[in-house]
Amino acid sequence: MMDKLILGRFIPGDSVIHRLDPRAKLIATFYFIMIIFLANNAITYGILTIFTLLAIFLSGLSFSFFLKGVRPMLFLILFTVLLQIFFTTGGKELFAIGPLKITEFGLVNAGFIFMRFVLIIFISTLMTLSTTPLSLSDALESILSPLNAIKFPVHEISLMLSIALRFVPTLMDETEKIMNAQRARGVDFSEGSLIQKMKAVVPLLIPLFVSSFKRAEDLSDAMEARGYQGGEGRTRYRKLDWAKRDSISIGAMALLTLFLFLFRR
Amino acid sequence: MDIQFEKVSFEYQPNTPFAQKALWDIDLSVKSGSYTAIVGHTGSGKSTILQHLNALVKPTEGRVLIGEREILPTTNNKNLKPIRKKVGIVFQFPEAQLFDETVEKDISFGPMNFGISAEEAAKIAREMLALVGLPEEILHKSPFDLSGGQMRRVAIAGVLAMQPEVLVLDEPTAGLDPQGRKEMMEMFKELHEKHGMTIVLVTHLMDDVTSFADKVYVLEKGRIVKSGVPSEVFQNVEWLNEKHIGVPQAAAFAKKLERAGVQLERLPMTTEELVNAFFENRGEHI
Repeated sequence: MMDKLILGRFIPGDSVIHRLDPRAKLIATFYFIMIIFLANNAITYGILTIFTLLAIFLSGLSFSFFLKGVRPMLFLILFTVLLQIFFTTGGKELFAIGPLKITEFGLVNAGFIFMRFVLIIFISTLMTLSTTPLSLSDALESILSPLNAIKFPVHEISLMLSIALRFVPTLMDETEKIMNAQRARGVDFSEGSLIQKMKAVVPLLIPLFVSSFKRAEDLSDAMEARGYQGGEGRTRYRKLDWAKRDSISIGAMALLTLFLFLFRR
Repeated sequence: MDIQFEKVSFEYQPNTPFAQKALWDIDLSVKSGSYTAIVGHTGSGKSTILQHLNALVKPTEGRVLIGEREILPTTNNKNLKPIRKKVGIVFQFPEAQLFDETVEKDISFGPMNFGISAEEAAKIAREMLALVGLPEEILHKSPFDLSGGQMRRVAIAGVLAMQPEVLVLDEPTAGLDPQGRKEMMEMFKELHEKHGMTIVLVTHLMDDVTSFADKVYVLEKGRIVKSGVPSEVFQNVEWLNEKHIGVPQAAAFAKKLERAGVQLERLPMTTEELVNAFFENRGEHI
């Protein structure tokens, strides 16, 4: 069930992209998603595609992972693309089925929207595939640290985040185990009506909640026992260091922006 | 009901970058009425084998015969319930599966899933509670108010309540105190001997294997490396140590005696055998 989800998982590797500072990757990914809206013609979309493919190539990860990353979103993409095809007016009318008209603009727009979706998914998949969740939460803490000035609890949030990320695989395992145990007692998770399916989830959710709370209690006790009292005065073990390649990657984003401005209509 | 594995291989998450092979060419058989033990180092594939026993997972190669049913890689997930009723699995730390408001409802949950009426199930719950050695007054308590050991018993009662023909136990005594451990193993022995239940036990405790099981499979890295009668398999202490499996206490002690010059014909497997062998050796009988 969860095995098929590629988005949000990390695949170890030793490529340039893997070694980038997670802050650089986080900023670049968000930035890319923003500037993708600058593209408005074939050339600019072409530039973005080449850039994305180059990044994927540099990561050394197999292209098929990225295609799998798109799969869960396929329905949304097709839905949007179809809406665009049928409900955009303007340009030459190609043919009409009743009130629905397919126009030149509609097709072009649909193509662009499709590219936009795929590129955004590719780039965000690339970030999660090449970055460990832990270093992502470190990066977030570092990026958010200026917010300390307005009394925003950056340390607490990032601790929450890293604990949450740490427990995702544990909870997945736990879910799998409890599901198996209940299936062995005759629960059917995949059959029956919607109401039956919802009822079948109760024997899964209650033990999961109970064990999560128990785990939280044990973990907080263990943290206290080891001298944790909050963010004040703590040092950090995992340090991020910004290298030349990180500056280069940000530079590449700036260059990309420049190209987009030059070639957009 | 017999369970038969024929050239079973299993791979987790096949065709993904996370694919991981866990079992290779497993041939294994659980005869009706037997007490089978499966031992091996952590990560040797014991738990994966267990999940095949009632079709929670399907082999990626080979086939599993559970009674009359044949489970192939292509078998679909429908109509597996009858199998689950006949093969009850007690997973590691089964107390994690408790969820209902009262102990009674939780124990009745399994039988009711297999179509037994609520009254009938409540009656079974009462019987099972007595069987696992718990007082009847906890029947209407919440399972979350019980101690760890009691929760374990309730969970086991919940599996026994389905009245399975084959009972599969994955380290049922892990984390229990010595007394609780002993009582629980005795209870399984009784189920096996008096009620003719077929038992499959996964364990790290070799003393349990030699005192209860009549057949043992030794797993290493997803393969069966040895199988047979426990007293035969455990004769070779050096081999066991080499495979990081552990040696029954009696056998380890006998090995020490041997080194000190006491000659024993066969390596004893249980304390009883050890004592007998020792006195026989000295020409005395007790």
